[in-house]
Amino acid sequence: MNCESVTKLIPLYFYGELPPEEEDSLEQHLDTCAACARQAESQRALSAALDRREVQPSAALLAECRHDLMRTVYRHEAMVGQAGSLRPIGNRPFLVSWLPALGAWRMPLGASALLALGFITARLTAPGAAGPFSFASLTPENVISSVRSVQPAQDASRPGEVQIVLDETRRRVISGQLNDGNIQRLILAAAHDENNPGVRWESVDLLKSHSDSSPVRELLLNRVAEDPNPGVRLKALDGLKAYTGDPEVRKVLAQVLVHDDNPGVRIAAVDALTAHAGEDMVGFLQGVVEKEDNTYVRRRCVKALEDMNASVGTF
Amino acid sequence: MAQDAPGAVGARLSPKLDEASLIRAVQRGDQDAFEQLVRAYDQSVLRLALNLLRSQEDARDVFQEAFLRVFRSIDSFRFDCSFHTWLYRIVTNICLDYLRKRKVRKEEPAVVDTPEGPLDRMNDFEEEAAHADPERSLWNVQLGQRIEGALGGLTPRERMVFELRHYQGLRLRNIGEILGTSEEAAKNCLFRATQKMRTVLGDLQ
Repeated sequence: MNCESVTKLIPLYFYGELPPEEEDSLEQHLDTCAACARQAESQRALSAALDRREVQPSAALLAECRHDLMRTVYRHEAMVGQAGSLRPIGNRPFLVSWLPALGAWRMPLGASALLALGFITARLTAPGAAGPFSFASLTPENVISSVRSVQPAQDASRPGEVQIVLDETRRRVISGQLNDGNIQRLILAAAHDENNPGVRWESVDLLKSHSDSSPVRELLLNRVAEDPNPGVRLKALDGLKAYTGDPEVRKVLAQVLVHDDNPGVRIAAVDALTAHAGEDMVGFLQGVVEKEDNTYVRRRCVKALEDMNASVGTF
Repeated sequence: MAQDAPGAVGARLSPKLDEASLIRAVQRGDQDAFEQLVRAYDQSVLRLALNLLRSQEDARDVFQEAFLRVFRSIDSFRFDCSFHTWLYRIVTNICLDYLRKRKVRKEEPAVVDTPEGPLDRMNDFEEEAAHADPERSLWNVQLGQRIEGALGGLTPRERMVFELRHYQGLRLRNIGEILGTSEEAAKNCLFRATQKMRTVLGDLQ
Protein backbone atom coordinates (compact mmCIF):
# COMPACT_ATOMS: atom_id res chain seq x y z
CA MET A 1 0.00 0.00 0.00
CA ASN A 2 1.54 3.33 -1.04
CA CYS A 3 0.89 6.90 0.13
CA GLU A 4 -1.33 7.71 -2.84
CA SER A 5 -3.71 4.84 -2.19
CA VAL A 6 -3.69 5.51 1.56
CA THR A 7 -4.74 9.12 0.96
CA LYS A 8 -7.79 7.91 -0.88
CA LEU A 9 -8.63 5.32 1.76
CA ILE A 10 -8.28 7.49 4.87
CA PRO A 11 -11.89 8.79 4.82
CA LEU A 12 -13.20 5.27 4.27
CA TYR A 13 -10.96 3.98 7.07
CA PHE A 14 -12.21 6.72 9.35
CA TYR A 15 -15.85 5.83 8.64
CA GLY A 16 -15.26 2.10 9.06
CA GLU A 17 -15.97 1.35 5.41
CA LEU A 18 -12.83 -0.68 4.67
CA PRO A 19 -12.71 -4.47 4.61
CA PRO A 20 -10.64 -5.86 7.53
CA GLU A 21 -7.59 -6.85 5.48
CA GLU A 22 -7.39 -3.44 3.81
CA GLU A 23 -7.81 -1.78 7.19
CA ASP A 24 -4.88 -3.81 8.57
CA SER A 25 -2.64 -2.82 5.67
CA LEU A 26 -3.56 0.83 6.06
CA GLU A 27 -2.85 0.79 9.79
CA GLN A 28 0.55 -0.78 9.15
CA HIS A 29 1.30 1.98 6.68
CA LEU A 30 0.19 4.69 9.12
CA ASP A 31 2.54 3.24 11.75
CA THR A 32 5.51 3.77 9.49
CA CYS A 33 4.57 6.88 7.47
CA ALA A 34 4.45 10.19 9.35
CA ALA A 35 2.97 12.10 6.40
CA CYS A 36 -0.01 9.76 6.08
CA ALA A 37 -0.43 9.64 9.86
CA ARG A 38 -0.75 13.45 9.76
CA GLN A 39 -3.42 13.11 7.12
CA ALA A 40 -5.31 10.67 9.31
CA GLU A 41 -5.05 13.11 12.19
CA SER A 42 -6.29 15.90 9.92
CA GLN A 43 -9.31 13.74 9.05
CA ARG A 44 -9.99 13.16 12.76
CA ALA A 45 -9.75 16.89 13.53
CA LEU A 46 -12.10 17.70 10.65
CA SER A 47 -14.58 15.17 11.90
CA ALA A 48 -14.42 16.50 15.46
CA ALA A 49 -15.02 20.04 14.23
CA LEU A 50 -17.96 18.96 12.12
CA ASP A 51 -19.43 16.92 14.97
CA ARG A 52 -19.77 20.08 17.00
CA ARG A 53 -21.70 21.72 14.21
CA GLU A 54 -24.49 19.15 14.34
CA VAL A 55 -27.90 20.49 15.30
CA GLN A 56 -30.56 18.40 16.97
CA PRO A 57 -34.12 19.50 16.23
CA SER A 58 -35.80 20.75 19.35
CA ALA A 59 -38.89 19.09 20.79
CA ALA A 60 -40.74 22.31 20.05
CA LEU A 61 -39.74 22.35 16.38
CA LEU A 62 -40.67 18.69 16.00
CA ALA A 63 -44.04 19.34 17.63
CA GLU A 64 -44.65 22.27 15.27
CA CYS A 65 -43.75 20.18 12.25
CA ARG A 66 -46.11 17.43 13.38
CA HIS A 67 -48.81 20.04 13.88
CA ASP A 68 -48.31 21.52 10.43
CA LEU A 69 -48.37 18.10 8.84
CA MET A 70 -51.46 17.13 10.78
CA ARG A 71 -53.28 20.29 9.78
CA THR A 72 -52.54 19.69 6.13
CA VAL A 73 -53.57 16.04 6.32
CA TYR A 74 -56.69 16.97 8.23
CA ARG A 75 -57.66 19.66 5.75
CA HIS A 76 -57.00 17.20 2.96
CA GLU A 77 -59.22 14.71 4.72
CA ALA A 78 -61.97 17.26 5.10
CA MET A 79 -61.84 17.95 1.37
CA VAL A 80 -61.76 14.26 0.61
CA GLY A 81 -64.77 13.77 2.82
CA GLN A 82 -66.63 16.51 1.00
CA ALA A 83 -65.69 15.20 -2.39
CA GLY A 84 -66.70 11.74 -1.29
CA SER A 85 -64.76 10.00 -3.97
CA LEU A 86 -61.06 10.56 -3.41
CA ARG A 87 -59.17 8.12 -1.32
CA PRO A 88 -55.87 9.27 0.18
CA ILE A 89 -54.61 5.93 1.41
CA GLY A 90 -56.20 2.58 1.77
CA ASN A 91 -59.97 2.54 1.82
CA ARG A 92 -60.61 4.38 5.02
CA PRO A 93 -60.21 8.09 5.59
CA PHE A 94 -57.84 9.50 8.12
CA LEU A 95 -59.56 10.74 11.16
CA VAL A 96 -59.12 13.28 13.84
CA SER A 97 -56.67 10.99 15.60
CA TRP A 98 -54.00 12.81 13.66
CA LEU A 99 -54.21 15.68 16.08
CA PRO A 100 -50.98 15.22 18.00
CA ALA A 101 -52.36 16.67 21.18
CA LEU A 102 -55.26 14.27 21.18
CA GLY A 103 -53.08 11.45 19.97
CA ALA A 104 -51.12 11.96 23.15
CA TRP A 105 -54.21 11.09 25.16
CA ARG A 106 -53.87 7.55 23.96
CA MET A 107 -50.44 7.27 25.44
CA PRO A 108 -50.08 6.21 29.04
CA LEU A 109 -50.55 9.45 30.86
CA GLY A 110 -49.22 10.51 34.19
CA ALA A 111 -51.71 9.63 36.87
CA SER A 112 -52.60 13.18 37.75
CA ALA A 113 -53.04 14.26 34.15
CA LEU A 114 -55.14 11.19 33.43
CA LEU A 115 -57.39 11.82 36.37
CA ALA A 116 -57.75 15.46 35.48
CA LEU A 117 -58.49 14.73 31.85
CA GLY A 118 -60.93 12.02 32.78
CA PHE A 119 -62.76 14.26 35.16
CA ILE A 120 -62.92 17.20 32.84
CA THR A 121 -63.90 15.26 29.76
CA ALA A 122 -66.58 13.48 31.75
CA ARG A 123 -67.98 16.83 32.69
CA LEU A 124 -67.66 18.15 29.20
CA THR A 125 -69.30 15.18 27.64
CA ALA A 126 -72.04 14.59 30.18
CA PRO A 127 -75.56 14.65 28.73
CA GLY A 128 -76.82 18.17 28.66
CA ALA A 129 -73.37 19.67 29.00
CA ALA A 130 -73.28 22.86 27.03
CA GLY A 131 -70.79 25.56 26.45
CA PRO A 132 -68.98 27.53 23.78
CA PHE A 133 -67.16 24.45 22.57
CA SER A 134 -68.06 21.66 20.22
CA PHE A 135 -67.16 18.07 19.52
CA ALA A 136 -66.26 16.58 16.22
CA SER A 137 -68.69 13.92 15.22
CA LEU A 138 -67.97 10.43 16.47
CA THR A 139 -67.68 7.59 14.09
CA PRO A 140 -66.85 3.98 14.94
CA GLU A 141 -63.28 4.57 13.82
CA ASN A 142 -62.82 7.03 16.63
CA VAL A 143 -62.84 4.18 19.10
CA ILE A 144 -59.64 2.27 19.73
CA SER A 145 -60.25 -1.23 21.04
CA SER A 146 -58.03 -3.81 22.61
CA VAL A 147 -59.14 -7.26 23.69
CA ARG A 148 -58.89 -7.76 27.44
CA SER A 149 -60.15 -11.35 27.63
CA VAL A 150 -61.77 -14.06 25.58
CA GLN A 151 -63.67 -16.90 27.23
CA PRO A 152 -66.60 -19.26 26.68
CA ALA A 153 -69.90 -17.63 27.54
CA GLN A 154 -71.29 -18.51 30.97
CA ASP A 155 -74.72 -19.38 29.64
CA ALA A 156 -74.76 -23.20 29.28
CA SER A 157 -77.91 -23.03 27.20
CA ARG A 158 -75.94 -21.39 24.38
CA PRO A 159 -73.07 -23.77 23.61
CA GLY A 160 -70.29 -22.51 21.39
CA GLU A 161 -70.89 -18.89 22.30
CA VAL A 162 -67.87 -16.87 23.43
CA GLN A 163 -67.56 -13.72 25.44
CA ILE A 164 -64.99 -11.10 24.44
CA VAL A 165 -64.18 -8.23 26.75
CA LEU A 166 -62.90 -5.12 24.97
CA ASP A 167 -61.24 -2.06 26.43
CA GLU A 168 -62.17 0.94 24.38
CA THR A 169 -60.66 4.38 24.26
CA ARG A 170 -62.68 7.03 22.56
CA ARG A 171 -61.10 9.95 20.75
CA ARG A 172 -62.78 13.30 20.37
CA VAL A 173 -61.92 16.67 18.95
CA ILE A 174 -62.88 19.43 21.28
CA SER A 175 -62.63 23.00 20.14
CA GLY A 176 -63.39 26.20 21.92
CA GLN A 177 -62.05 29.53 23.07
CA LEU A 178 -58.94 29.55 25.20
CA ASN A 179 -60.66 31.76 27.72
CA ASP A 180 -63.35 29.13 28.23
CA GLY A 181 -62.81 27.60 31.66
CA ASN A 182 -63.32 24.01 30.53
CA ILE A 183 -60.96 24.34 27.59
CA GLN A 184 -58.40 26.00 29.79
CA ARG A 185 -58.60 23.21 32.37
CA LEU A 186 -58.03 20.62 29.65
CA ILE A 187 -54.93 22.43 28.48
CA LEU A 188 -53.74 22.86 32.05
CA ALA A 189 -53.99 19.09 32.46
CA ALA A 190 -52.19 18.50 29.15
CA ALA A 191 -49.38 20.77 30.36
CA HIS A 192 -48.62 18.08 32.94
CA ASP A 193 -48.49 15.18 30.50
CA GLU A 194 -45.23 13.72 31.65
CA ASN A 195 -44.86 11.49 28.60
CA ASN A 196 -45.05 14.16 25.98
CA PRO A 197 -42.82 17.23 26.19
CA GLY A 198 -44.19 18.44 22.85
CA VAL A 199 -47.73 18.62 24.23
CA ARG A 200 -46.48 20.30 27.40
CA TRP A 201 -44.60 22.85 25.32
CA GLU A 202 -47.62 23.53 23.13
CA SER A 203 -49.90 23.81 26.15
CA VAL A 204 -47.62 26.24 27.93
CA ASP A 205 -47.19 28.22 24.72
CA LEU A 206 -50.95 28.53 24.36
CA LEU A 207 -51.55 29.39 27.98
CA LYS A 208 -48.78 31.92 28.47
CA SER A 209 -50.85 34.62 26.80
CA HIS A 210 -53.37 34.12 29.64
CA SER A 211 -50.93 34.52 32.49
CA ASP A 212 -53.28 37.06 34.08
CA SER A 213 -55.35 34.06 35.16
CA SER A 214 -54.26 32.75 38.52
CA PRO A 215 -54.34 29.01 37.64
CA VAL A 216 -52.31 29.71 34.51
CA ARG A 217 -49.72 31.67 36.46
CA GLU A 218 -49.50 28.86 38.99
CA LEU A 219 -48.98 26.41 36.16
CA LEU A 220 -46.23 28.56 34.64
CA LEU A 221 -44.49 28.78 38.01
CA ASN A 222 -44.80 25.05 38.44
CA ARG A 223 -43.47 24.30 34.95
CA VAL A 224 -40.53 26.68 35.18
CA ALA A 225 -39.48 25.05 38.42
CA GLU A 226 -40.42 21.43 37.81
CA ASP A 227 -40.62 20.56 34.12
CA PRO A 228 -37.87 18.12 33.09
CA ASN A 229 -37.65 19.66 29.60
CA PRO A 230 -35.64 22.90 29.37
CA GLY A 231 -37.64 24.04 26.34
CA VAL A 232 -40.84 23.89 28.38
CA ARG A 233 -39.15 25.64 31.31
CA LEU A 234 -37.97 28.43 28.98
CA LYS A 235 -41.43 28.78 27.48
CA ALA A 236 -43.01 28.97 30.95
CA LEU A 237 -40.45 31.53 32.00
CA ASP A 238 -41.29 33.55 28.93
CA GLY A 239 -44.93 33.58 30.03
CA LEU A 240 -43.95 35.00 33.42
CA LYS A 241 -42.07 38.00 32.05
CA ALA A 242 -44.97 40.34 32.70
CA TYR A 243 -44.91 39.35 36.39
CA THR A 244 -41.25 39.65 37.24
CA GLY A 245 -42.15 42.32 39.78
CA ASP A 246 -44.36 39.87 41.67
CA PRO A 247 -42.57 38.63 44.84
CA GLU A 248 -43.82 35.05 44.41
CA VAL A 249 -42.61 34.94 40.81
CA ARG A 250 -39.26 36.48 41.79
CA LYS A 251 -38.83 33.88 44.50
CA VAL A 252 -39.30 31.04 42.01
CA LEU A 253 -37.03 32.71 39.43
CA ALA A 254 -34.31 33.14 42.04
CA GLN A 255 -34.53 29.43 42.85
CA VAL A 256 -34.34 28.65 39.13
CA LEU A 257 -31.24 30.83 38.77
CA VAL A 258 -29.53 29.00 41.59
CA HIS A 259 -30.68 25.44 40.98
CA ASP A 260 -31.62 24.90 37.31
CA ASP A 261 -29.08 22.64 35.59
CA ASN A 262 -29.56 24.32 32.22
CA PRO A 263 -27.47 27.46 31.60
CA GLY A 264 -29.96 28.74 29.04
CA VAL A 265 -32.76 28.68 31.58
CA ARG A 266 -30.49 30.33 34.16
CA ILE A 267 -29.64 33.10 31.69
CA ALA A 268 -33.34 33.68 31.02
CA ALA A 269 -33.92 33.79 34.79
CA VAL A 270 -31.20 36.43 35.23
CA ASP A 271 -32.72 38.53 32.48
CA ALA A 272 -36.22 38.23 33.96
CA LEU A 273 -35.05 39.04 37.47
CA THR A 274 -32.94 42.00 36.46
CA ALA A 275 -35.78 43.50 34.44
CA HIS A 276 -37.02 44.72 37.84
CA ALA A 277 -33.67 45.03 39.53
CA GLY A 278 -33.59 46.61 42.93
CA GLU A 279 -31.13 46.98 45.76
CA ASP A 280 -32.30 43.65 47.16
CA MET A 281 -30.86 41.93 44.07
CA VAL A 282 -27.28 43.06 44.63
CA GLY A 283 -26.34 40.60 47.38
CA PHE A 284 -28.17 37.78 45.65
CA LEU A 285 -26.44 38.36 42.32
CA GLN A 286 -23.05 38.72 44.00
CA GLY A 287 -23.66 35.30 45.57
CA VAL A 288 -24.55 33.84 42.19
CA VAL A 289 -21.40 35.31 40.61
CA GLU A 290 -19.34 33.62 43.30
CA LYS A 291 -20.85 30.20 42.84
CA GLU A 292 -21.88 30.08 39.18
CA ASP A 293 -19.52 27.98 37.08
CA ASN A 294 -20.91 28.92 33.68
CA THR A 295 -19.09 31.83 32.09
CA TYR A 296 -22.09 33.19 30.26
CA VAL A 297 -24.45 33.13 33.21
CA ARG A 298 -21.77 34.74 35.34
CA ARG A 299 -21.25 37.47 32.72
CA ARG A 300 -24.97 38.23 32.68
CA CYS A 301 -24.97 38.60 36.46
CA VAL A 302 -21.85 40.77 36.38
CA LYS A 303 -23.41 42.99 33.73
CA ALA A 304 -26.60 43.29 35.77
CA LEU A 305 -24.54 44.31 38.81
CA GLU A 306 -22.58 46.83 36.75
CA ASP A 307 -25.83 48.26 35.40
CA MET A 308 -26.91 48.75 39.00
CA ASN A 309 -23.57 50.44 39.77
CA ALA A 310 -22.89 47.69 42.30
CA SER A 311 -19.60 45.96 42.90
CA VAL A 312 -19.24 42.48 41.49
CA GLY A 313 -17.68 40.90 44.56
CA THR A 314 -18.52 41.07 48.22
CA PHE A 315 -16.05 42.64 50.60
CA MET B 1 -21.01 11.55 15.15
CA ALA B 2 -24.58 10.45 14.75
CA GLN B 3 -25.28 6.74 14.58
CA ASP B 4 -28.88 6.84 13.48
CA ALA B 5 -28.75 3.82 11.21
CA PRO B 6 -31.96 2.27 9.91
CA GLY B 7 -31.90 -0.39 12.56
CA ALA B 8 -31.76 2.19 15.29
CA VAL B 9 -34.67 4.08 13.77
CA GLY B 10 -36.70 0.96 13.38
CA ALA B 11 -36.07 0.11 17.00
CA ARG B 12 -38.26 3.04 17.99
CA LEU B 13 -41.27 1.32 16.50
CA SER B 14 -43.65 -0.30 18.87
CA PRO B 15 -42.80 -3.95 19.44
CA LYS B 16 -46.47 -4.71 18.77
CA LEU B 17 -45.99 -4.51 15.01
CA ASP B 18 -42.93 -5.12 12.89
CA GLU B 19 -42.35 -2.57 10.19
CA ALA B 20 -43.73 -4.63 7.30
CA SER B 21 -46.96 -5.31 9.21
CA LEU B 22 -47.15 -1.66 10.07
CA ILE B 23 -46.78 -0.60 6.44
CA ARG B 24 -49.41 -3.12 5.34
CA ALA B 25 -51.70 -1.76 8.02
CA VAL B 26 -51.10 1.75 6.67
CA GLN B 27 -51.86 0.57 3.15
CA ARG B 28 -55.14 -0.82 4.45
CA GLY B 29 -55.90 2.63 5.82
CA ASP B 30 -54.97 2.21 9.47
CA GLN B 31 -54.40 5.75 10.66
CA ASP B 32 -52.77 4.69 13.91
CA ALA B 33 -50.21 2.68 11.99
CA PHE B 34 -49.47 5.67 9.77
CA GLU B 35 -48.98 7.89 12.75
CA GLN B 36 -46.70 5.31 14.34
CA LEU B 37 -44.72 4.96 11.14
CA VAL B 38 -44.23 8.70 10.78
CA ARG B 39 -43.24 9.11 14.40
CA ALA B 40 -40.63 6.38 14.07
CA TYR B 41 -38.80 8.40 11.43
CA ASP B 42 -39.80 12.02 11.69
CA GLN B 43 -37.10 13.06 14.12
CA SER B 44 -34.28 11.73 11.94
CA VAL B 45 -35.87 13.25 8.83
CA LEU B 46 -36.11 16.64 10.50
CA ARG B 47 -32.53 16.37 11.76
CA LEU B 48 -31.29 15.57 8.27
CA ALA B 49 -33.15 18.52 6.72
CA LEU B 50 -32.10 20.89 9.49
CA ASN B 51 -28.42 20.01 9.28
CA LEU B 52 -28.35 20.01 5.50
CA LEU B 53 -30.25 23.20 4.92
CA ARG B 54 -29.37 25.07 8.12
CA SER B 55 -32.72 26.78 7.97
CA GLN B 56 -35.66 26.11 10.23
CA GLU B 57 -38.16 27.22 7.61
CA ASP B 58 -36.71 25.03 4.87
CA ALA B 59 -36.45 22.05 7.23
CA ARG B 60 -40.11 22.43 8.13
CA ASP B 61 -41.04 22.59 4.46
CA VAL B 62 -39.01 19.48 3.68
CA PHE B 63 -40.60 17.64 6.60
CA GLN B 64 -44.07 18.57 5.43
CA GLU B 65 -43.47 17.81 1.79
CA ALA B 66 -41.74 14.48 2.45
CA PHE B 67 -44.40 13.04 4.73
CA LEU B 68 -47.20 14.30 2.53
CA ARG B 69 -45.60 12.45 -0.36
CA VAL B 70 -45.46 9.36 1.82
CA PHE B 71 -49.08 9.92 2.75
CA ARG B 72 -50.14 10.17 -0.86
CA SER B 73 -48.05 7.35 -2.30
CA ILE B 74 -47.73 4.67 0.38
CA ASP B 75 -50.02 2.49 -1.73
CA SER B 76 -47.26 2.33 -4.34
CA PHE B 77 -44.67 1.01 -1.85
CA ARG B 78 -44.04 -2.58 -2.93
CA PHE B 79 -41.37 -3.72 -0.43
CA ASP B 80 -38.69 -3.74 -3.15
CA CYS B 81 -36.46 -1.98 -0.65
CA SER B 82 -36.70 -1.08 3.02
CA PHE B 83 -39.17 1.60 4.00
CA HIS B 84 -36.23 3.60 5.38
CA THR B 85 -34.58 3.62 1.95
CA TRP B 86 -37.86 4.51 0.23
CA LEU B 87 -38.54 7.34 2.66
CA TYR B 88 -34.99 8.65 2.42
CA ARG B 89 -35.16 8.66 -1.36
CA ILE B 90 -38.10 11.02 -1.04
CA VAL B 91 -36.41 13.17 1.60
CA THR B 92 -33.03 13.37 -0.13
CA ASN B 93 -34.63 14.24 -3.47
CA ILE B 94 -36.47 17.14 -1.87
CA CYS B 95 -33.36 18.29 -0.02
CA LEU B 96 -31.21 18.04 -3.15
CA ASP B 97 -33.72 20.27 -4.96
CA TYR B 98 -33.38 22.84 -2.20
CA LEU B 99 -29.58 22.67 -2.29
CA ARG B 100 -29.50 23.01 -6.07
CA LYS B 101 -31.83 26.00 -5.98
CA ARG B 102 -29.57 27.58 -3.40
CA LYS B 103 -26.54 27.03 -5.57
CA VAL B 104 -28.32 28.90 -8.33
CA ARG B 105 -29.66 31.65 -6.08
CA LYS B 106 -26.52 31.90 -3.93
CA GLU B 107 -28.65 32.13 -0.84
CA GLU B 108 -27.52 33.73 2.35
CA PRO B 109 -25.18 31.55 4.37
CA ALA B 110 -26.01 30.11 7.78
CA VAL B 111 -23.41 32.35 9.38
CA VAL B 112 -23.89 36.03 8.64
CA ASP B 113 -21.89 39.10 9.52
CA THR B 114 -23.54 41.51 11.92
CA PRO B 115 -22.30 44.73 13.55
CA GLU B 116 -21.66 42.61 16.66
CA GLY B 117 -19.63 40.04 14.72
CA PRO B 118 -20.44 36.78 12.95
CA LEU B 119 -23.76 35.27 13.91
CA ASP B 120 -24.93 31.71 13.34
CA ARG B 121 -28.57 31.97 12.30
CA MET B 122 -29.17 28.48 13.63
CA ASN B 123 -28.77 29.86 17.13
CA ASP B 124 -31.92 31.92 16.67
CA PHE B 125 -34.14 28.91 16.79
CA GLU B 126 -32.30 26.03 18.33
CA GLU B 127 -34.22 25.35 21.47
CA GLU B 128 -31.27 24.75 23.66
CA ALA B 129 -28.22 25.41 21.58
CA ALA B 130 -27.66 29.10 22.08
CA HIS B 131 -28.52 29.14 25.72
CA ALA B 132 -27.92 25.62 26.87
CA ASP B 133 -24.46 25.29 25.45
CA PRO B 134 -22.83 28.69 25.27
CA GLU B 135 -19.44 27.16 24.56
CA ARG B 136 -20.87 25.77 21.40
CA SER B 137 -22.16 29.20 20.45
CA LEU B 138 -18.71 30.61 20.96
CA TRP B 139 -17.25 27.86 18.83
CA ASN B 140 -19.81 28.67 16.15
CA VAL B 141 -18.78 32.28 16.17
CA GLN B 142 -15.12 31.38 15.76
CA LEU B 143 -15.34 28.62 13.22
CA GLY B 144 -18.83 28.66 11.82
CA GLN B 145 -18.03 30.77 8.80
CA ARG B 146 -15.13 28.57 7.75
CA ILE B 147 -17.11 25.38 8.24
CA GLU B 148 -20.09 26.72 6.34
CA GLY B 149 -17.78 27.97 3.63
CA ALA B 150 -16.20 24.54 3.32
CA LEU B 151 -19.57 22.78 3.19
CA GLY B 152 -20.82 25.40 0.75
CA GLY B 153 -17.97 24.44 -1.58
CA LEU B 154 -19.34 20.93 -1.97
CA THR B 155 -21.70 19.97 -4.74
CA PRO B 156 -25.23 19.15 -3.53
CA ARG B 157 -24.56 15.46 -4.08
CA GLU B 158 -21.25 15.51 -2.20
CA ARG B 159 -22.96 17.43 0.55
CA MET B 160 -25.72 14.84 0.74
CA VAL B 161 -23.37 11.84 0.81
CA PHE B 162 -21.30 13.47 3.51
CA GLU B 163 -24.36 14.34 5.58
CA LEU B 164 -25.81 10.84 5.35
CA ARG B 165 -22.49 9.19 6.23
CA HIS B 166 -21.16 11.58 8.86
CA TYR B 167 -24.28 12.77 10.66
CA GLN B 168 -26.85 10.10 9.90
CA GLY B 169 -24.40 7.22 10.25
CA LEU B 170 -25.64 5.38 7.14
CA ARG B 171 -23.42 2.89 5.36
CA LEU B 172 -22.15 3.90 1.93
CA ARG B 173 -23.94 0.95 0.32
CA ASN B 174 -27.23 2.17 1.77
CA ILE B 175 -26.43 5.74 0.72
CA GLY B 176 -25.84 4.54 -2.83
CA GLU B 177 -29.17 2.76 -2.76
CA ILE B 178 -30.95 5.87 -1.50
CA LEU B 179 -29.35 8.14 -4.08
CA GLY B 180 -29.81 5.68 -6.92
CA THR B 181 -26.11 5.13 -7.47
CA SER B 182 -23.44 2.54 -6.70
CA GLU B 183 -21.52 2.08 -3.47
CA GLU B 184 -18.35 2.90 -5.41
CA ALA B 185 -19.80 6.20 -6.61
CA ALA B 186 -20.84 7.04 -3.04
CA LYS B 187 -17.27 6.27 -1.88
CA ASN B 188 -15.81 8.59 -4.49
CA CYS B 189 -18.28 11.28 -3.52
CA LEU B 190 -17.32 10.98 0.14
CA PHE B 191 -13.64 11.12 -0.73
CA ARG B 192 -14.09 14.27 -2.81
CA ALA B 193 -16.16 15.87 -0.06
CA THR B 194 -13.62 15.19 2.68
CA GLN B 195 -10.71 16.24 0.48
CA LYS B 196 -12.37 19.56 -0.31
CA MET B 197 -13.13 20.19 3.33
CA ARG B 198 -9.68 19.25 4.49
CA THR B 199 -8.22 21.63 1.95
CA VAL B 200 -10.29 24.49 3.36
CA LEU B 201 -10.17 23.47 7.02
CA GLY B 202 -6.90 21.59 7.03
CA ASP B 203 -5.40 23.43 9.98
CA LEU B 204 -8.15 22.41 12.40
CA GLN B 205 -6.65 20.61 15.35
